[in-house]
Amino acid sequence: MKIKNIIITFFSAIALLLSTATVSFAKVVGDKIILGAAVSLTGKYSSNGVHTQNGYNMAVDRINSMGGIKVGGKTYKFDIIYYDDESNPKRAAQLAERLISQDKVEFMLGPYSSGLTKAMAPVTEKYGVPMVEANGASRSLFTKGYKYLFAVLAPANLYLDVAIRTAVELNGGKGVKIAQAFEQDAFSQDVRLGILDAAKETGSEIIIDDKLPKELNDMAATLVKVKQMKPDVLVVSGHTKGALTAIRQIAEMKVDVPMLAMTHCDAAKLSKQHGKNSQYALCASQWHKTLTYKDKWFKDGMTYDADFTKMFGYAPPYQAAESSAALLVFKDAFERANSFDQKKVRDALAATDMQTFYGNIKFAPGGQNVSKPMVLFQVICDSSGKCENKVVAPLKWASAKLIHPVPKWSER
Amino acid sequence: MINKNLIIYLSILIFGIVAPFVFPAFKVQLSILCVLIILAMTWNIQGGEMGYNSFGNILFYGLGMYLCASVQVGMFFPLAEWTESGGEKTFVHTPAEFFQGFAVGLAVAAVVPAIVAGLIGYSILGLRGHYFAICTLGLGVAAGEISGGIEIIGAGQGFTTPPFPNFGGLEARGEFFYFCSFVSLVLTFIVVKSIYSTRFKLVLNAIRDNEDKAEAMGIQTMKYKIIGWMISAFFCGLAGGIMGGLVGYIDSTDVAFDGREMGVFMVLMAILGGKGTLWGPIIGASVFHIFKEGFWTFFLGWQYVALGVLIVVIVIYFPEGIMGWLREKYPERFGEVVDEADRKAQVELK
Repeated sequence: MKIKNIIITFFSAIALLLSTATVSFAKVVGDKIILGAAVSLTGKYSSNGVHTQNGYNMAVDRINSMGGIKVGGKTYKFDIIYYDDESNPKRAAQLAERLISQDKVEFMLGPYSSGLTKAMAPVTEKYGVPMVEANGASRSLFTKGYKYLFAVLAPANLYLDVAIRTAVELNGGKGVKIAQAFEQDAFSQDVRLGILDAAKETGSEIIIDDKLPKELNDMAATLVKVKQMKPDVLVVSGHTKGALTAIRQIAEMKVDVPMLAMTHCDAAKLSKQHGKNSQYALCASQWHKTLTYKDKWFKDGMTYDADFTKMFGYAPPYQAAESSAALLVFKDAFERANSFDQKKVRDALAATDMQTFYGNIKFAPGGQNVSKPMVLFQVICDSSGKCENKVVAPLKWASAKLIHPVPKWSER
Repeated sequence: MINKNLIIYLSILIFGIVAPFVFPAFKVQLSILCVLIILAMTWNIQGGEMGYNSFGNILFYGLGMYLCASVQVGMFFPLAEWTESGGEKTFVHTPAEFFQGFAVGLAVAAVVPAIVAGLIGYSILGLRGHYFAICTLGLGVAAGEISGGIEIIGAGQGFTTPPFPNFGGLEARGEFFYFCSFVSLVLTFIVVKSIYSTRFKLVLNAIRDNEDKAEAMGIQTMKYKIIGWMISAFFCGLAGGIMGGLVGYIDSTDVAFDGREMGVFMVLMAILGGKGTLWGPIIGASVFHIFKEGFWTFFLGWQYVALGVLIVVIVIYFPEGIMGWLREKYPERFGEVVDEADRKAQVELK
């Protein structure tokens, strides 16, 4: 029965491995404040996960090089421990647990996407770890009574609300016919709820209401219906893949619709990838470089855009900008709390009221940022085929006039 | 001999009981390890002993997860309002409600999938070989898509399971879920071990080796196949229910009917350890989990590549799994009598 010996050896090996593998970081080591973050480096959210990570890194660099964080008369620098959550909520929850109980992180940055944030929030909440997140917009995050969750972005249901209202306005205040297709994930479904609310209030009718799969690369079925039923507005939301798929197939199938409203156009680099085909698409955005907000670290949107492009080789989508803003919020809170006590930092976060290059930040009791509206931009191309995103709503920041209705494919 | 066995079981049991206190930081990983072992062991009943490669066991796991959470919420609050996103109301379970709900939820999570397995099994266990594998693969995928469209369980929004109540300090949540999964593992082990020592296992093996012959000998193979699958489903459902509470958030295709990960992992772990053995899936799951966690830490961004290499290595060098390899290498330790002369003669013949 020597096999039993093997089994015994095996289990003792596990025990040994476990006991030696405990590497411990403290929240503050020397002059470093260590933040934990799980972002999607692989899987379906990998492109946005990287935008998030770049946003975080950019802000860490900037804050550290501009003097760091002053707490209790001492200067500290930020450092981030990253893990890859593989775009999987199960993994995200495990990683939150791991960051807190193994790596002993006491402050967290959010992951990318609402679903993953939903999976991490119960864990950070349980341990009382303040988490400033920049990429979880689902409304239901803010109705669970979480006390340690702060989001620098506007909630998801507001994303395309403006688009519907603008369409109704252009229709002379009468309700419009809406076709919509949403990915089956927490964020997109929340955008859908926002549209349902807006439709109800404006007396609009939803004539197509489709769900798209998570591995999104075909929505021809919806577009065939759109061709037949001729809605006034087509709304699509499905993260980066949704935006790319929609533009690709609308162009292929020559679908004419007076207004096309989407999310995630700039993360998808629509105008770069699809050029003129993406023209006239309306996109909801948390941020745009032409907005006039200012702060002392990144100056303003245009400077942020230039610096980010220099550092990473591509123009920053709003996902990167809001991620950078999360660190500014943390820095501000640490300095006001003048302590590393989690509760004190949490209270300081709750009392945040500041302006960053990304927008004003002030948290409601639920943790969502209430002082920053969404903007809507339109992809507009010039005659040479160079396309740009121009803000068209709200009017305060508009740098171009909304082109409506979208010209038919036969006339382009 | 009995004493020796007893010592081993006791020492593993004691290790299991003290582990969360000795390695408090690893509670979650250990709980997941328990769940993985349950999945691998139960998959082995079909894949290893019965010769039916099922990719559909994830169906029962996901079903258990949704059922447990739904019952836990539904017993005390309106389920539709709980899962409705943007609802303004906040519901909080008291500790008593939480534990009562979880207990009843787990019972439902185990029993219902077993019944479902019986019903489905009756209709598809007539398929054999690749046809059965593909059919079960379809079941898991279909379940994920369907559950992603059911509003009352959150649909695409996902389902946040009840947060652990304020009870017993910071470590309580981890300890609670660890012991749930550990006790389930022990239960699974006892059941699986005891059925492996009965005629039942021999029948399953007969089905694997030659189903037609088994039938010709008067064995009602269908009955045994269904019962075998129901046993698997029972424990898969239980494991799913626990995992749902542990993760805290159920997503239709990424957490519950996660055929792409859990569904494949359970097959992989059983094969890695050696299918058709009692200890194989346990060793396979442990090795797999440790490697996965290790890759995850040291090869950030490349963990799946590393995992892929591991799988290739296993297939090439350990086609029979770790247990199979050991058995070939040290047959006498498995109680096989080896005639040295005969063995040498065979080697020379080659």
